[in-house]
Amino acid sequence: MKHIEVMVIGGGPAGLCAALAASSLGAKVLLVERDEIPGGQLVKQTHKFFGSEKQYAGDRGIHIGQMLLENVIAEQDIELWTDSTVLAIYEDGVVTVEHEGKHTKVKPDRLIIATGAAEKFLSFPGNDLPGVYGAGAVQTLMNVDGVKPAKRVLMVGAGNIGLIVSYQLKQAGVEIAAVIEGLPKIGGYLVHASKIQRAGIPVLTRHTILEAYGNGQVEGAIIASIDETWQPIPGTEQKIPCDAICLAVGLSPLTELAWQAGCAMAFVRELSGHVPVVDDLLESSRPGIYCAGDVSGIEEASAAMVEGRLAGLSAAFSLGYEANEAKALQQSAMEELAELRAGPMGQHIRDGINKVKLKRKIGNHAFENQTEKSGIVKDYSSDATNTCRAEIKTSLINDGIPTKEELDAIYPSDKRLTEGPIAIVECFQEIPCNPCVKACKRGAISMLRDINDVPVVDEELCNGCGLCISLCPGLAIFVVDKSYSGDMALIKLPFEYVPVPKSGHFVAGLDRAGRELGRFEVVRVTSGGDKNKTFTVSLAVPHDLVMEVRGIRIGEQAI
Amino acid sequence: MRIDEHPVLSFERGEKINFFYNGQEIEAYPTETIAAALHAAGVRKLGESPELHRPRGLFCAIGNCSSCFMIVDGEPNMRVCVMKVRSGMRVEEQRGKGVVGI
Ligand SMILES: Cc1cc2nc3c(=O)[nH]c(=O)nc-3n(C[C@H](O)[C@H](O)[C@H](O)COP(=O)(O)OP(=O)(O)OC[C@H]3O[C@@H](n4cnc5c(N)ncnc54)[C@H](O)[C@@H]3O)c2cc1C
Ligand code: SF4
Ligand code: SF4
Ligand code: FES
Repeated sequence: MKHIEVMVIGGGPAGLCAALAASSLGAKVLLVERDEIPGGQLVKQTHKFFGSEKQYAGDRGIHIGQMLLENVIAEQDIELWTDSTVLAIYEDGVVTVEHEGKHTKVKPDRLIIATGAAEKFLSFPGNDLPGVYGAGAVQTLMNVDGVKPAKRVLMVGAGNIGLIVSYQLKQAGVEIAAVIEGLPKIGGYLVHASKIQRAGIPVLTRHTILEAYGNGQVEGAIIASIDETWQPIPGTEQKIPCDAICLAVGLSPLTELAWQAGCAMAFVRELSGHVPVVDDLLESSRPGIYCAGDVSGIEEASAAMVEGRLAGLSAAFSLGYEANEAKALQQSAMEELAELRAGPMGQHIRDGINKVKLKRKIGNHAFENQTEKSGIVKDYSSDATNTCRAEIKTSLINDGIPTKEELDAIYPSDKRLTEGPIAIVECFQEIPCNPCVKACKRGAISMLRDINDVPVVDEELCNGCGLCISLCPGLAIFVVDKSYSGDMALIKLPFEYVPVPKSGHFVAGLDRAGRELGRFEVVRVTSGGDKNKTFTVSLAVPHDLVMEVRGIRIGEQAI
Repeated sequence: MRIDEHPVLSFERGEKINFFYNGQEIEAYPTETIAAALHAAGVRKLGESPELHRPRGLFCAIGNCSSCFMIVDGEPNMRVCVMKVRSGMRVEEQRGKGVVGI
């Protein structure tokens, strides 16, 4: 039997950060990952992440994963087992692993469960036909194996995953028939919805799939509108020809190991199912077993990384490593989490965590005392986490297309517009994200309170340099120059498809709903660099269209 | 179909190899899983359900769901979504419950 101080199960963002944090305090760590390549969800995420600099916001998921993995590999105190699956956790604390084809036993002093989540399924006739895929499978095929999963896809679900995977499919050259969503509003970030709308992908809320049809494999789907009680409205059925149906209907925490270990569990809808009950330092009801990341509530990679770090610190600290420094580090991790969760998008997480807290207080006295003993538990429910902020109530929330009023409110003054180029930041929702603020070296973009605020451009400070365009993960920043020439104005927009247009080309200019407004000349194309990979395309358009054109299409491909 | 040009990713696939699907020779790259190589060749039906004989394909692609069971080099119940393709490998559709020879 192998003995180790800290064992981490799962090499996603939570597990990688847990291993790094525990070893940074001096603990010896074993990190076990089922897949050949650690990274969890990050290995498939080609888009740029939200959050703040501390969580590497603005970097693409794959790059964040690679960077964390390189750090883990460079760390001598971390032993990494890949292609190894943890099978069971026993009462006596022994963990069994399938490793190098053998059944291996490990006895860790501390255990961190960071197994992430599994995709939910949806029942409808024909859901077992080849061609009905989970969103994760579509991502694995196209982003890991480089194989197009289909020619034309119907996406079910307009949460972040549905929106992002639709965008990624489009980048891989796959057509999206539509994104449908049962709820009356878009659940994911609106900047993602806006991005796919202007690529010509319709987002239909209050729609559901009735069935998949096809002979031996998917040939299409029947969708319909639904009423408030989720019942299909007769007469609204539509036949959507497609060769794949992609389900992005949510994740549920992968908690088998936490159950097995005997951790106290609670069903919390806001956290997406049964989750282990943990304290502020992420220790479960079983002393010495910690849980971090999606396994204890579906959230974001940004939060998973911080939770991983916190669990790693807590585990090493409890073994006696670097007691003084550790407390401050734990405190700052908890503050980072509170900040990420402070906005309206974090409301359900805050509610969920409060419910778990309550369960812990009622359920297990020994457990509660142990938390208090640590002395650094802070109740965030009274400060940042309970501020109720503006929720979007216009049609923007239904389709991702901002209304005239919303746009008018952010446009610079007419005077400033005629004076020269200026950034237009079309980011209306309070999401935990701020790379735009950091991107502007002139300090022209600011946020009032914290990273959950909407960015505001100072029209005097902004000189329209366009640097921020390729650094915004939401692709929500444009630069408009009405001083370009007598009849033409310039619009600079972000671009992440292939082929990349060249200056002198004429391309179709599209509005925010992906409709063609005419053919315009590309004046300039600048690369965001080898790692950034977002291009900035400058297009000369008539003055009256410069506030309308927000995308381009080359040939048949809407972009 | 394989993705040749991508705005963010580049795929390093290595040398082409061949394997057999129901006896038919198919091209693949050693970096691919069996499921991905079959998809690239347009094969999406991987087997049939044991009782109702309904076609089965890939669902999760991470080894979680068992929807992709095939017979690989004579061995049934192989999750081809997480198994790399190898030169000369013989892959067959699995119909019914896989019977493991002893
Ligand atoms: C399409 C999509 C887009 C997303 N976009 C964003 C975004 O823009 N920004 C953002 O912040 N977040 C985003 N997320 C969310 C983010 O990816 C997850 O919240 C995050 O990956 C959770 O991290 P984790 O480490 O808890 O779990 P995971 O990343 O799921 O990692 C868990 C790991 O544990 C391993 N594992 C599981 N069971 C075992 C076992 N028994 N033995 C060994 N190993 C095991 C798994 O193989 C996996 O590698 C996105 C998610 C998806 C699906
Ligand atoms: S265009 Fe330049 S000056 Fe204006 S906000 Fe963006 S980075 Fe700052
Ligand atoms: S504008 Fe700022 S806050 Fe909005 S998505 Fe872009 S970087 Fe994030
Ligand atoms: S597709 Fe789910 S196990 Fe292979």
